[in-house]
Amino acid sequence: MIDSLIDKDWVEALWLILDFALAVLLLGLAAAAVGTRDLRRGIALFIAFGLLVALVWARLRAPDLALAEAAIGAGVSGALLLAALRDVPPSGLPSVGARGLPLWLLNLGSVTLAVLLGWALLLALAGSDGIRLADLALANLEHSGVSNPVTAVLLNYRAYDTFLELGVVLAAVLGVLALGPARRSVRPAGPVLNSLIRLLLPLLIVTGGYLLWIGATAPGGAFQAGAMLAAAAVLLRLGGDATAGLPGAVGQRWLLALGIAVFAAVGLGVSTGGGAFLAYPHDWAGVLILLIEAAAMLMIACALALAYLGGRPAGWTIGDREGG
Amino acid sequence: MTNLLVWPVLVPLLGGLATLLAPRLANPLGLACSLATLGAAAALVVVFADQGPMILALGGWAPGLGIALRADGLSVALLAMSSLVGLAAGVYATGYFADPDVRGRFWSLWLLLSAALHALLLSGDLFNLYVTLELLALVAVALTALGGGRAALEAALRYLTIGLLGSLVFLLGVTLLYAGYGTLDLVGLAGALRPEPVAWVALSLLTVGLLIKSALFPLHFWLPPAHANAPAPVSAVLSALVVKAAFYMVLRLWFDVFDPALTQAAANLLGVLGGAAVLWGSWRALRAERLKLLAAYSTVAQLGYLFMFLPLLLALPPGPSRDVAFGALVLLALSHGFAKSALFLGAGVIQQRAGHDRIADLGGTARALPVTTFVLALAGVALIGLPPSGTFLAKWQLLASAIETGQWLWLPIVGIGTLLAGAYCFRVLGHAFGPSDRVGAALAVGGEEIPALLLAITATVVLGLGAAGLWEFLALGTAFDGGSR
Repeated sequence: MIDSLIDKDWVEALWLILDFALAVLLLGLAAAAVGTRDLRRGIALFIAFGLLVALVWARLRAPDLALAEAAIGAGVSGALLLAALRDVPPSGLPSVGARGLPLWLLNLGSVTLAVLLGWALLLALAGSDGIRLADLALANLEHSGVSNPVTAVLLNYRAYDTFLELGVVLAAVLGVLALGPARRSVRPAGPVLNSLIRLLLPLLIVTGGYLLWIGATAPGGAFQAGAMLAAAAVLLRLGGDATAGLPGAVGQRWLLALGIAVFAAVGLGVSTGGGAFLAYPHDWAGVLILLIEAAAMLMIACALALAYLGGRPAGWTIGDREGG
Repeated sequence: MTNLLVWPVLVPLLGGLATLLAPRLANPLGLACSLATLGAAAALVVVFADQGPMILALGGWAPGLGIALRADGLSVALLAMSSLVGLAAGVYATGYFADPDVRGRFWSLWLLLSAALHALLLSGDLFNLYVTLELLALVAVALTALGGGRAALEAALRYLTIGLLGSLVFLLGVTLLYAGYGTLDLVGLAGALRPEPVAWVALSLLTVGLLIKSALFPLHFWLPPAHANAPAPVSAVLSALVVKAAFYMVLRLWFDVFDPALTQAAANLLGVLGGAAVLWGSWRALRAERLKLLAAYSTVAQLGYLFMFLPLLLALPPGPSRDVAFGALVLLALSHGFAKSALFLGAGVIQQRAGHDRIADLGGTARALPVTTFVLALAGVALIGLPPSGTFLAKWQLLASAIETGQWLWLPIVGIGTLLAGAYCFRVLGHAFGPSDRVGAALAVGGEEIPALLLAITATVVLGLGAAGLWEFLALGTAFDGGSR
C-alpha cells in the first residue's frame, strides 16, 4: 500500500520534471528558430519545435492534436519549407528584419502582449463557471455516429466548419497553381533511398487508411490520413518521380473537387426529407462520416502533394498535352 | 424552408467546383452560377421581407453545440449587394482574361470568394466567422496573385502576411472568449458577456484583427498596392466587398455581442482613426498618379466614414434615432460598394483600351469612351456624396447625428473629406475631357462598359431614390437576439 503510494508520488514527480523540461525546451527551440539568421537552420529548428509541440499535446491528453501536429505541423510543413528553400537563389535572400521597426521594440511589444494575454486568460479561467461545450459534446456522443468525440465535433456537430475548411484547402491550392509551372524534377534517387522508399511507401499508405478508419473510435481522421498519403507523394517525388504519384491533370482536378463535392452531396442528401443541411440520420451517421472523410482524405493528400510540387504540373495549363 | 440560408453559400461553392472540373466552359458555367447565386440571394430577400429574420441550426444541433446560420436585415442587404456586384464584375470578367487557363482559375476563385463572403454574412458562430474570414482572405490573396507578374505576387504576399496577422489576432480573441464564457454562439455569448477585463481584452483583439483586414488608418498600408495591382474585376470586388466584410464583422460584434462591454472612449478612438483615414486617404487619392491607385486610396477614405459612425451610434440612445443612423451607415456601405466597383471596372476598361491608367494621360477619353467617362462621373457623384446618390443621404444623416450628440469634431472632417473627394473626382474628369493628339474613335458602346454603367447607376440613382425602403428592410428585426420572430 505504502509502496504503491510512494511509487505514485515518484511517477508524478518524474512527469512534472518532464513537463518542465518540455516547456523550457519548447521556449528555447522557438527562440532559436526565430532568432537564427540561417534559413536552413531555422527550418530544422522549426521541425524539431513541431515535434515537441506534438509531445506537449500528447501530455495534455489531446492525442488527435498530437497526431495532426506531428504529421502536418512538423512533417508536411517541414517538407514544404525545405522545398521552398531550394528556390532561394545562391546569393541568398535579402536579410530579414533590416527594415521597419527596431527589434527591441518588437520584442518589447511581443512580451507586453504575451503578459496581457496571459493575465486575461488567467482571469477568464478563474472567472468562468467551468461549463464548456465538452460536456455537451460527450452527452450527445451516442447520437453522433462515432465514438471519438473529436471526430464528432469535426464531422457532425461542427461539420460546417470542416466543410468550409476544405474550401480553404482548395483556395490555397489554387493560389499555389497561380505561381507558375511546378518545380523541375529532381534526379533519380540512389539505390539506398530507392529501397527505403520501396519499404516506406506501402507502410505510409496502409497507415493512412488505418488512421482514416480508426478516426471513428480513436485519434485519427481525414487530415492525418491525408498527410500520410501526402508524405508518400513527397517520398516518391524525392525518389525522382516527377508526378509525385499523382494522376494526370484531369484526375487531379477531380480529386481536388471530390472532398467538397461529397461533403455537399451528403449534406444536401440528408436534408431532402425536410431536415437541416448536414443533419445526418442517426443510423447512417457513421457510414456517412466515413464516406466524407475518405473523400476529404484524397482531396487533402492531392492538395498537399500539389503544394509540394510548388506550381502547375504538366497538363494543368489548358492546351498542354495531358500527362507528364 | 430554413435551408434557404445555405444556398447563397452552396451555389457558388459548387459552381467553383464545376469550373474547376470544366475549365474550358468556365465562362458560361461561371456566369450561370453567378446568376443562380443572385437567385438564391433574391429568394432570401423575398422570404426575409415576408417573414423576417431566419435561423438555421446546421446538422440539427442546437446553436452552441452546433453552428447556427442567421439572417437579418443587415446581412441580407449586404448579401444582395455582394451577389449583384459579383455578377456584374463577373460579366465584365468574361472578356477580361485572354488566357483560358487564367480564366478557368479566375472563375473557380471568384465563385469561392462569393461563397466565402456569403458564409461570413450569414454566420452566427464566432469560430465559424473565423473560418469564413480565413477562407475569404486566402481566396482574395489567390485572386490578387492571378496576374502572375512580379508586382502582383509581391502585393499578394504582403496581403497574405497581413491577412494572417489579422486572422491570428482575431483567433486569440476567440480563444479568450471561449475560455471565459464557454460558448461560441454569438447569441449565447451576448447573453453571457459581462463588462470585465476578459471581455475588453477579447474585444480589443477581435477588433484589431478586423481593423487590419478592413484597412483602417493607420493599418491601411497594404491595401493600395494589393488593390491597384490586382486584375480590374478582382480589384472591384476586393474594394467593394472584401474590406467591407471585415467592417460588417466589427459592426456585428460591437452592437450585437459586446453591447454591454462597450465604452464611448473605444468608439471615439475608432471614430478618430476613421476621421484620419478620411483625410489621409482623400489626400493620397488626390495625389495619385494612376486611376486604380486613386480608387484604392479612395476606398481607404470611404472606410473611414463607416468607422466615424461608430461613436455616433454608441452615443445615440437605442431606438428610432439610432436606427436611422444605422440605416444611413448601411446605405453608405452599399453605395460605396456599387460606386467603387463601377469605378474599378471603368478603370479596367480604360486600362485595356488605352494600355495605361495614368491620370495625366487620360486626355481624349471622354471622346473615345463616352460611356466609361459617364461611369467615372456617376461613380464620382456617389463617392463625393452629391444628390441624388445614397451617399448624400448617408452623409446628411451622419452630420445630423453628430449635431444631435454634440460630437462636433466630425463636422469639419466630413466637410474637408467631401471637398477632397470632389477634387480628386473632378481631377480625373478634367483630364478625361481634356484634348488629345489622337483622333478620337467612333462613338460606340463596348459591351464591357455595360456592367460598370449599371453598377454606377445603382449607386447614384437607385440607392438614392429607393433609400427609404432600406430603413424599412432593416427594421424587420434581428436574428441575433436569441430567437427568430
